[in-house]
Amino acid sequence: MTTTPAPEPLELVCPAGTPAALRAAVDAGADSVYLGFRDETNARNFPGLNFNRRELADGIAYAHQRGAKVLVAINTFPKAGNPGPWHRAVDDAADLGADAVILADIGLADYAARTHPDLRRHLSVQASASNAEAIRFYHSAFGIKRVVLPRVLTVAEIASLNSRIPVETEIFVFGGLCVMAEGRCALSSYVTGLSPNKDGACSPASHVHYEEQGDTLVTRLGDVTVNRFASGEPAGYPTLCKGRYVTAGRASYLFEEPTSLSVVTMLPELARAGVRALKIEGRQRGRAYVAAVVAAFRKAVDAVARGEPVSVDGLAALTEGGRETAGAYEKTWR
Amino acid sequence: MGKRDTARSSGPAPQLSPVLFAGFALRPLPLALLQPILGVAVRAIHQRHPDIFERLADLDGPVYLVDPVDLPFRFELVPDPDRPSLRALAEDEDVMPTATIRGSLLTLIDLLEGRIDGDALFFSRDLVIEGDTEAVVALRNAVDGAEVDVAADVLARLGPLATPAGLALAGARALFSRAAADLETLRSAVIAPALRRTESHEAAIRGLEEKLASARPTRRARTGGP
Amino acid sequence: MSAPSLTLGPVLFNWPAAKLRDFYFRMADEAPVDSVCVGEVVCSKRAPFFEPHLVEVIERLQAAGKEVVLSTLALIMSEREADQARAVAAAAADGLLVEANDISVAALLAGRPHVVGPLINVFNEGTLAYLAANGACRVCLPVELPGESIAALAAASDVDLEVLVFGRLPLAVSARCYHARSHGLAKDNCQYVCGEDADGLPLETLDGEPFLAVNGTQTLSYACCNLTAELAPLRELGVSRFRLSPQDADMVAVARVFRDVLDGAADADEADARLEGLVGPMPFANGFYHGTVGASFTADAGWQGPVE
Repeated sequence: MTTTPAPEPLELVCPAGTPAALRAAVDAGADSVYLGFRDETNARNFPGLNFNRRELADGIAYAHQRGAKVLVAINTFPKAGNPGPWHRAVDDAADLGADAVILADIGLADYAARTHPDLRRHLSVQASASNAEAIRFYHSAFGIKRVVLPRVLTVAEIASLNSRIPVETEIFVFGGLCVMAEGRCALSSYVTGLSPNKDGACSPASHVHYEEQGDTLVTRLGDVTVNRFASGEPAGYPTLCKGRYVTAGRASYLFEEPTSLSVVTMLPELARAGVRALKIEGRQRGRAYVAAVVAAFRKAVDAVARGEPVSVDGLAALTEGGRETAGAYEKTWR
Repeated sequence: MGKRDTARSSGPAPQLSPVLFAGFALRPLPLALLQPILGVAVRAIHQRHPDIFERLADLDGPVYLVDPVDLPFRFELVPDPDRPSLRALAEDEDVMPTATIRGSLLTLIDLLEGRIDGDALFFSRDLVIEGDTEAVVALRNAVDGAEVDVAADVLARLGPLATPAGLALAGARALFSRAAADLETLRSAVIAPALRRTESHEAAIRGLEEKLASARPTRRARTGGP
Repeated sequence: MSAPSLTLGPVLFNWPAAKLRDFYFRMADEAPVDSVCVGEVVCSKRAPFFEPHLVEVIERLQAAGKEVVLSTLALIMSEREADQARAVAAAAADGLLVEANDISVAALLAGRPHVVGPLINVFNEGTLAYLAANGACRVCLPVELPGESIAALAAASDVDLEVLVFGRLPLAVSARCYHARSHGLAKDNCQYVCGEDADGLPLETLDGEPFLAVNGTQTLSYACCNLTAELAPLRELGVSRFRLSPQDADMVAVARVFRDVLDGAADADEADARLEGLVGPMPFANGFYHGTVGASFTADAGWQGPVE
């Protein structure tokens, strides 16, 4: 009788914007924690967030003592003429014992592969590698071991992809949903001058304005009115692609409703599609959020590993506008 | 939320009500006396959580106006990395804050102790933010990273075993004892509804999730064909 | 410094095949451009309609002395889309220049001279050097790149750099079709409604301010990029190729404006006045180049050198 080896359990990859969130994630059952340095080298370069070198060293020690890994996101695109901060970020991640770096830029991936061949390299969602050819390129050129898939693929496409690439795949399962192909969106800089690619910030808070007009709350990014909320209507952060706009005389959420990705009930399907790791979005969110979401997914992932049905507890309150979507994983989203 | 030690407050929690606050207001605590308490509080937090202030160091000297709408005071917070200050404002005193944060005391304490996360801050309308949004986001992130427990932090500083020199500044130990007692009263008043709210919240969520879970397969089945 | 040349970028919008054919015929006959990009970049579903005309268009352009560049899809997700891209990339073996807009196509073109399009992220000299070693002979830079970065790239590399100087700015691509969504249709049954808007579907804010333009799965600026005043400083930096992204306007006249500025026959003020008459209600934008809000427009001041 032959037995097929049990598939490796899904790895739960969890966000940390602060050391407190890192501890919360690890304590709640994260297999890996991803984080960034406190500068423009990562795509959540938000005020008051992220890690200095000492905090990273402490965070790695805390995680490693408890069997968790730390992945350092260096996933913006180095500035021409000034690659220093990005190179130092890779060097320091390697020196401090990070388990992997998450990279988006070709030049930086090349630098990491040449300078730190033993440092494990993941490809960030910001690289927008959405097909087998692209992923094989990053694998053969820079030894990428894992790709974080863009949030544009259906489950069927992910399954097909996994059969044709030599690397692990990681997908987003919960949290803020980018509607556009990540790393290929300049909407934020069109309005604010600052972009995820260059500056590590989409719709940066420095350009956000809330204005009460009578009972109406108006949200603006730069000079652009992104939304108006009637009294009592839940408000949203003015991310451009989640705004309400007018086409052909009709106001609507043309790009996306203020909603969050949640595919906890699809985990068995995703496991069958050959996905290796599940990523929770939200380095900008609080440690209470991180603890709650990670705990819920820990339970779900363990249930999948035992072949039991997945139950969901307490996730909806944490989603944007209390609404959730399976996003691109379901073809109808397109 | 699990870490909170609720055993400390025994007996039925007082209702967080206008009456409670009237009580605080009636026991005359003029600004002149309130101010030293605030000074101790901010020094306690500064001492125990210097990283909050370090995380705000990139900002250009922000001044926050914190306005608990159900208290008769407004506060001015200047999170200077070396000399932070928290000051109660006189009713007619005008300040030019970088940003204003307005909400019920309950919401503000949730924010301070990390129970409201950065995005949820904007999803609910319980909190009103005016002025420099970046400064508010930075403060929220910095505070969230610090695991502040207001009562524990301040009591640690006020407690009999940890009576710091700072107390001498106030000159009235009795006043601090009273303030500490007030803080505990206030705290249990704040926490009880928070716990109740959490419980009912979770029940509502479970209901919603069950509905969603049962709705989802049908939706996929209908659209999953070739 | 090599002589400046003009490239006509790919038509990003869904124009009827006959209109597109006639457009290229006229470009071949009349437009003072050196290079012309042909091919579908935005949506794989549109590509088959133009295919019957592709050969005659390429021949007509080549006969008129234009270099032809075959552009490829920006976002490749399905096997069908990958096959489409592979088929175009295969043309590189026949001596045609192919432009990659997804890194997978650059990978297919490895070792052969090719163009890297503006939808591949080339933000720094490290990436530029890698892609050049891979065979890129020309790189049209991403639109959000500031002049300061263009300067650093031009100083660091011998690869021909091209900068988009006219047309709505391509700001984002998505798996989701907003055109179909705006009509309440699914992408799979889109009825090609994007064909109704030759310059994209304008999108206004709730205050009634025009903001963006939707083109199927692509999102563009409402404003029209206009870098006539920046041509001279770009030339100084060593950039010699300038891309005009086609709008539903008199593109021959647009090309003449830019040609005149490059030849010194018109200054930026005159060019702006002439362009204003050609682009209708679209405001101008040049903020990306100046490292600021992309939608903004500064009437003067090209990039003046690195700020210390």
